[in-house]
Amino acid sequence: MRDVAIIGVGMIPFGRRDEDSLLDMLAYASLNALDDAGMGDKTVDAVYVGNMGAGIIQHQTSIASSLVDRLSLLPAAADVVENGPASGGSAVKNGLLAVASGYYDYVLVAGGEKMREITGWRATDFVATMTHPEVEYPYGITLPGMAGMFTQLYMEKYGVTREHLLAVAMKNQEMGALNPYAHVEMLLDREGIFDSPHAVVNNPVAATPLHLYDLCPVSDGAAAVILCPLDMAKKLQNKPPVLIAGFGQATDTHTLQERDDPTDLKAVTLAAQQAFDMAKLKPKDIDVAELHDAFTILEIAESEHIGFFKKGEGGKAAAAGKTRLGGQLPINVSGGLKSRGHPVGATGVAQIVDITFQLRHELPKDRQVKNAKHGFTINFGGFGNNVVSFVLKRTEP
Amino acid sequence: MKNEIAITAFKCKKCGRIHYPFHDRCLECKNREFEKIKPQGNAKLLTYTSIYNLPWGFDQRFLIIGVAEFENKIKAMGQIKADSIDELKLGMEVRPSWESVRVQAGEDVFGLKFEPIG
Repeated sequence: MRDVAIIGVGMIPFGRRDEDSLLDMLAYASLNALDDAGMGDKTVDAVYVGNMGAGIIQHQTSIASSLVDRLSLLPAAADVVENGPASGGSAVKNGLLAVASGYYDYVLVAGGEKMREITGWRATDFVATMTHPEVEYPYGITLPGMAGMFTQLYMEKYGVTREHLLAVAMKNQEMGALNPYAHVEMLLDREGIFDSPHAVVNNPVAATPLHLYDLCPVSDGAAAVILCPLDMAKKLQNKPPVLIAGFGQATDTHTLQERDDPTDLKAVTLAAQQAFDMAKLKPKDIDVAELHDAFTILEIAESEHIGFFKKGEGGKAAAAGKTRLGGQLPINVSGGLKSRGHPVGATGVAQIVDITFQLRHELPKDRQVKNAKHGFTINFGGFGNNVVSFVLKRTEP
Repeated sequence: MKNEIAITAFKCKKCGRIHYPFHDRCLECKNREFEKIKPQGNAKLLTYTSIYNLPWGFDQRFLIIGVAEFENKIKAMGQIKADSIDELKLGMEVRPSWESVRVQAGEDVFGLKFEPIG
């Protein structure tokens, strides 16, 4: 297997993008990545597109074929990769394996989703299609509902409090306000959403015990990366390549009810462990992480299951500022899903883009983790039933 | 007339693990032979949530959903018949029933409901 590097990354601002089609967004992000890689008019051997819902939302299928045509990358191989909210991570994994195997040299991986063109209750229903079609979906369960049930048990077992959840929300929105690609560029006011009598109106219950500001927004957006073998990347006169040092992917039962302990995110633990083993690194070696905080509880629970903190310590660490920029382990310096947004098929790719920015040391001071060498991502599919993880490593010139 | 609880769970004939929904191979031992079992008695509420942002197809303000474990260890999701989650607590006893849980294309879709009794 060959070492694989990221030689270019691209993203477009997430948010509500009424003026752009899904294909427009994928094309813009891909062109940014191709330009970032210095590809000029060169083509790629293959394209993988992470997307969950074009068939449902846009009534459009085979979007990878559309993208290679739009970008004049013909006759590159082209596939759509669908793995729910982990579609982006899975697409990067497929690109990685294709290059590592020696079959392809240059691969474009793009992830995108356009979710704001349908109403909120249609979008909620779309996301809920990943629940079990017979024993969950008919009851009206939603992903925030799944997270609510999980949060209640996690609070009961590990002593996580609403204060801990609030610390994650405030940190991520503070960081997102500095990120030009973020959907939500708004600081949260603790008084207004937590302490005052008006908090019940400003921050209503979404799915008990989670409130509005515990949830990520519904977003449009796209992100892309260019992969090639590390030895070829080093010969390019371009930005320093970032090595994909490890990846992992693991699955768990479709329904929460069939897990022996519903608070145990086994797929997160396993995917992270695989990625660390492949990279020959440990959680303590990571300098910056992008975790899948679709709900604030997930940043806390994932930080514990990955091994960054002991069980029951993740919430306290967030509240103590250990996961802020400048803290013990900065988490979601991009603002995370909570603030950058969560166009589901784009998220796993966007996490890789953000960690690449960090490892190339090219962010402004107020967002850059100093001397970052090792980065980590978790892309969480379903409700933890299909999880993809990466360890990225800075390469020195 | 009270409707029968129309769910079937699957008990592995080799290791005894109970599955709901169906799996072709046992999650524990990979065995492919199962005994069909029906839920028995009341159930214990394992977790619950009150959802305020409902998906398309639900025309109501909120919905309380939970997971409960029957006396013979079958675990299942259902809607909770309560006006508020203040009436609920983890581990409480709930009485199951089989009722319409939503309407699709003008037709009732039946499923589990749990009424707090503990």
